Amino acid sequence: MKQFSPGAAAALLLSCVIAVGSVSFLGPCVHVDGSFGSCHWAGQAMLGIGLLLVILSVAGLLVKDGRVRAGILFAAAAAAVLGIFVPGTLINLCGMATMRCRAVMRPAMMLLCALTALSCLLSGIAAYRKAGSKT
Amino acid sequence: MKRGSLAIKNLLRKPGRTAALVILTALLALSVFGGSVVVGSLRQGLNSLESRLGADIIVVPSSAQSKASFQNMLLQGTIGAFYMDGENLDRVREVEGVETAAPQVFLASLKADCCSVKIQVIGFDPETDFFVRPWIEQSHTRELGDLDVVVGCKVEAEVGEILRIYDERCKVVGRLAPTGTGLDTAVYCNLSTMKTLLAAAEEKGVSHKVSSDESDDQISAIYVKVKDGYDIDQVNSKIQGHTRKCSAVRTKSMLTDVSDSLSAISGTVATLIGAVWLLALVILVVAFVMIANERKREFAVLRLLGTSRSMLGGMVLKESALCSLAGGILGVLTASMLVFPFTTLIETSLGLPYLRPSAGTILGLALASLAATVLVGSLASSWASFRLSRVDPGTVLREGN
Repeated sequence: MKQFSPGAAAALLLSCVIAVGSVSFLGPCVHVDGSFGSCHWAGQAMLGIGLLLVILSVAGLLVKDGRVRAGILFAAAAAAVLGIFVPGTLINLCGMATMRCRAVMRPAMMLLCALTALSCLLSGIAAYRKAGSKT
Repeated sequence: MKRGSLAIKNLLRKPGRTAALVILTALLALSVFGGSVVVGSLRQGLNSLESRLGADIIVVPSSAQSKASFQNMLLQGTIGAFYMDGENLDRVREVEGVETAAPQVFLASLKADCCSVKIQVIGFDPETDFFVRPWIEQSHTRELGDLDVVVGCKVEAEVGEILRIYDERCKVVGRLAPTGTGLDTAVYCNLSTMKTLLAAAEEKGVSHKVSSDESDDQISAIYVKVKDGYDIDQVNSKIQGHTRKCSAVRTKSMLTDVSDSLSAISGTVATLIGAVWLLALVILVVAFVMIANERKREFAVLRLLGTSRSMLGGMVLKESALCSLAGGILGVLTASMLVFPFTTLIETSLGLPYLRPSAGTILGLALASLAATVLVGSLASSWASFRLSRVDPGTVLREGN
């Protein structure tokens, strides 16, 4: 029986904010000379991770089998953990802490990814336990 | 059954009601903890600026638009490059009452290595400086060599890294402790390095209103310490009269401006916190009274089963205290997630010195916010608790029929 998962719904919402925010209101610095700094590519990577999280969260909401759903949500949690390390650790950002990529994008993406990972992990554990109790 | 476990079971039995109470109390904790951390950081920033400035008077060129431009440079890290005749330093030193006068030269880099961010370079004289040197000595005890630079904590460069400024390879030899001011975004070097950088800038065709040949004779600011027993205002006026095309600014007046802005922000934050608390308190009292009315029959049955009045009152208080504690923890965590990661954003938005208090102070504020939330939550439920404990089981159960 398919059951609504609030954790997966929360993850979907957060993933949408990651995907949209990384290239708009939470995005990196825009260079006046039209060039792209490494922070731009960090934003693009976050867009990719955000879209992946959206797909996994939707699947986590739609898939009926508890164990498969748990697997999908655990994968989403792993992708979200990867997202925490993208801006600033895996991809360099600008050299000044006051720049938008460091002051806004990095903390926002880390926070959103951490919350997504947590909600995916908790709902994944819940789905796994529920599936285990039925067998 | 223990009253504690009964209270927890009651809360779990009505998850919607419990969640509403938790969210309401979380709002209280969020506002008081978040607000107090922001105000505390602003106060810490002002203290840091006061202790860092050290000078009684700062002399800047009139072209620096008096203190406003210089103040923005100090507070917000706005790039500033303005120059005046180096002779003014000797003129200031000649003024009666001047104990020490230390020059600084400013330079704005075109861009840093990584991106199109400009960096403020500040050159100082290690022999006379009392402004930057004590601060640098906290992290770098040796003398700064040629092309050695020390970076503010907001410049993302590690010790040993090479920073290219106008294609000159400057070695980072130290990172400074945070001050919460615009000084954190600057790079510091001695006057010899500054001369090299000015020459490099000239080669790049970037005019800084000072040629490399004249760099020894051109300075950007003079920090003045007044001898004990002299009136700072009088010395300030004398300096103003002795120097050419310069403005002498009392640091105290600059700090007063900052202090006034801080008071205004503190007042606004306090008003907002007060409004949130008043509103939430009224809602909590009304909510607990409504809950008390809803649970009259339940309490009447418990009374018939032998539960004493004090036990019933205690149970309601315990329920509200548990809700408030959960809400308080949620509120403090939410405020932490909103305030701490976005420290730089808050600082740049406010345009004031902003330095996070120590971990101990933050922990103290968190515990105080939690205690205040639990206390207010318990107080809000005390009337409802009193009314419920006075329930007459017979009357209530007959009314129900």
